[in-house]
Amino acid sequence: MLSRTLRAATARPFLVRGNASLSSAPPAAGTPAPPPPPASTTTTATTTTTATPPSAKAAKAPEEGDKAEGGRRKRKVWTPRKRPAISALAPREWNRPLAPGVVPAYDYALKYIQRDAAAVAAEAAELEKRVEEKEGEYQVLLKEGGEGVKEGLEKVDAELEGMREKLHVLRVQAEVNLPEVRWKVKNALAERGREAHRHLLEHRWRKDGDLDLLMERIYQMKVVPDLLPVLKPTVDLRVAVPATTPDQFRALAAQGRAGANVLTVEPGVFLDPKNTLSPPMLYADAFHADTRLYTLLMVDPDVPDPERAGYKTYLHWMCPNVELSAARAGRLTGLNGHTAYVPPHPQRGTPYHRYTVLLLPQPPVRGERYSRNLEARAVREGGVSSRRLDIPVVGEGERAGFDVRKFVEEWGLGVEGGAHMFREVWGAATSKVYEEVLKQPEPVFGRPRKEDRYADIRGRKKYVL
Amino acid sequence: MMACQIRRDQEISHQIDSQHPATMSFLRPASSSSKAAFRNTTAIRHYAGKPDTSLGDPKRENLRRALYPSNIRNRPTPVGTWRPDVARALQRAIPSVQAHETIERAWLLHKRHVRKQREAELSRKFEKMREAMDELYKLDSQLYLQANRADDPRAKSAQEMEMAKKLKVSEVRTMDARIPGLFPRELKVPTDTPSRTGWNYDYKPFQRPL
Repeated sequence: MLSRTLRAATARPFLVRGNASLSSAPPAAGTPAPPPPPASTTTTATTTTTATPPSAKAAKAPEEGDKAEGGRRKRKVWTPRKRPAISALAPREWNRPLAPGVVPAYDYALKYIQRDAAAVAAEAAELEKRVEEKEGEYQVLLKEGGEGVKEGLEKVDAELEGMREKLHVLRVQAEVNLPEVRWKVKNALAERGREAHRHLLEHRWRKDGDLDLLMERIYQMKVVPDLLPVLKPTVDLRVAVPATTPDQFRALAAQGRAGANVLTVEPGVFLDPKNTLSPPMLYADAFHADTRLYTLLMVDPDVPDPERAGYKTYLHWMCPNVELSAARAGRLTGLNGHTAYVPPHPQRGTPYHRYTVLLLPQPPVRGERYSRNLEARAVREGGVSSRRLDIPVVGEGERAGFDVRKFVEEWGLGVEGGAHMFREVWGAATSKVYEEVLKQPEPVFGRPRKEDRYADIRGRKKYVL
Repeated sequence: MMACQIRRDQEISHQIDSQHPATMSFLRPASSSSKAAFRNTTAIRHYAGKPDTSLGDPKRENLRRALYPSNIRNRPTPVGTWRPDVARALQRAIPSVQAHETIERAWLLHKRHVRKQREAELSRKFEKMREAMDELYKLDSQLYLQANRADDPRAKSAQEMEMAKKLKVSEVRTMDARIPGLFPRELKVPTDTPSRTGWNYDYKPFQRPL
C-alpha cells in the first residue's frame, strides 16, 4: 500500500532539466543563429533566457497536475520524452544555451575551454609534424631492407607507436571538452572522421549502459563459457528484426514508435521464430579508422544431441571477410554469400535456445596485434589491415556439431569484435522451417519414457486363497 | 502517539508521579506505593498500539532499522548518493544542462592543470634531489650517511631542554605533544554549530622552538 508521500512523489514528474536550446528554424547558410536574448533585470535567470521548443522544455512543476476541475486532480499519464528531430538528414547548428552575461561562470568556462583546446590543438599539430618526419625515416629504412637494418627498424617502429598514441590522446583532448563537439555527438551529428567524435561515441557505448547490458546477458546466459572462453567486444553490434507478434507491436507503440514494424532486439530477449525467418538486419559500429575484416558467425549451442544425452552447436550463418570501419558504420550488407542463412528452428519440447551472433576480428596483415602504426599506414595507403581468410563453405551435414572454439583457434580469430544474443522457443514457424528450408521431418523431443516396474504383476492375482 | 500514551496513562494511571496531584488516584494499586519516588519505565503493551520503542534498550530498534530500512523516497540518502533537492537548486542557478556540464568540465580541467603542474614540479624536485644524493654518494660516503640520517621528531633540542627547566610539568607535556612538522592541534574541521564551551577569548598559541 503506497504511503501518501510516495504517491505524491510518483504523481509529480521528477524535475527534468531540458537540453540545450535550439532555434526552431534552420539558420541561414554561414551565419549561426544569434544566442537567445538576455533575461530582463526584474526576473531571475530561470524564467526567460531561451526560445525553447516545447518538447525540450523542463517540466514546470507548479502548473502541471493541479488542474482543479471540480476538485478532481487529473492524473498525468507518463509518455516518453520526444527528442528534437535533429540528425544528419536534418542538421542544426550549435548555439550557446545561455546568452552572454546571464551566467558569468558559463562565459568564463567557455573561454577557458576554448583557450585550452587551442593550446592542445597546437601541441597536436607540432607532434603530427614530428610523426610525419619519423614515418619518413621508417619508410626509408623499410626500403633499404637487410639484416642490420631490422633492429633499427623495430626501434623506430616502437618510437612511432608511442608518438602516435600520444597524438591520439592530444587530438581527442583538443576537442572533447568543447560544448559544440559534445552537442553534435549527442544529437546524431558526429563526424566519424574526427578522433574526438569517435572517442565520444565509443565512450557512450561503453559507459552509458549498452555494453554493460550486453555483457550482463552474455554472462548470465552463460554464452561465454559455453561458446568461447573470453569475449571483449570492441564493436557495437545491433540486431533488428521485423516485428510479428502483438506484444512486439505493443512494445513499439510504448516506445513512441507506433507505426514502425522493425524491432531493435535487446540482448537476451525472447523472439518468435517468425521474426527470424529471414536474416536479421545487422548494424555494426566500429571505432577504428582503418578498414578491418571480421568473420560473422551465428550459432545455436542448444541443439539437443540424443546420442550423447547432451547438446551440440549448430551453425546457422557464416560470412568471413566482412569489412568494417568507423567511416562505414551502419547496416551490413552482402552477408549471405558464403554459408547461407538457415533460420533458427528451436525444436519442440526443448528448453529455450540461445542464438548468438558473433563478429570476430581476423588476424592483422602484419604482426600479431593491431597497432596505431598499422592503423595509420592502412589509412594513408588505403586498403585493408586484416588478413583475408579463405574459409571453406560449411556443408549442410557439418553445420550440426560445429566447434566454435576449434574454428576460432584454427583461423586465429580474436576475442574482440562484436557480439549479440537472443533466445527462442518453439513456435508454429519452426514447423515451416523444417518443411521448407531443412526439408526434414520435424523432431519432437521429450523426456524418455519411464519404465513400468510393475508391468509383469499388474494383471496377475496377488493373493491366493 | 505520545498524546495517546499520555491519555491512556491518565485513564489507567499506571504512570506514577507522586509530585503531581492530578495523577494521584484512589484506584492506584498498593504495590506501586513503595515505588512512589521512581517513574515506571517498562514498556507496557496496549493491544491497540505499538509499544514505545524509544524507552529502554535501543538495540532492538537499531537492529530493526538496519535490517529493514525505509524505502520511502522523501529525504536524501545518509551518505549523499541521492539528493532530491539538488536538481531544483541547480535549475535556479544554471537553467541549462549543457551550461552546467560545460562549467563542470572547465573546473575539472582547471583542477587537472593545477594538479599536473604540481606533480611535475614535485617530480622535478625529487629527481634533482635524487641526482644530488647520487653525486654525494660518489663523493663522500660519510657526508652521505649524515644526509640520509632521519631525525627523531620527538627529540628535544638544547634550547628546548633549557626551556623545559623553567616550565611546569603540564606545560612540558604540552611542549612534548607539539611535534614539529605535524599539523597544528588548532586545525579543526569546521562544524555546523559552535562548541558547547563557546569561544575561548583567552587562548594563547603555543609555539615550540625549533
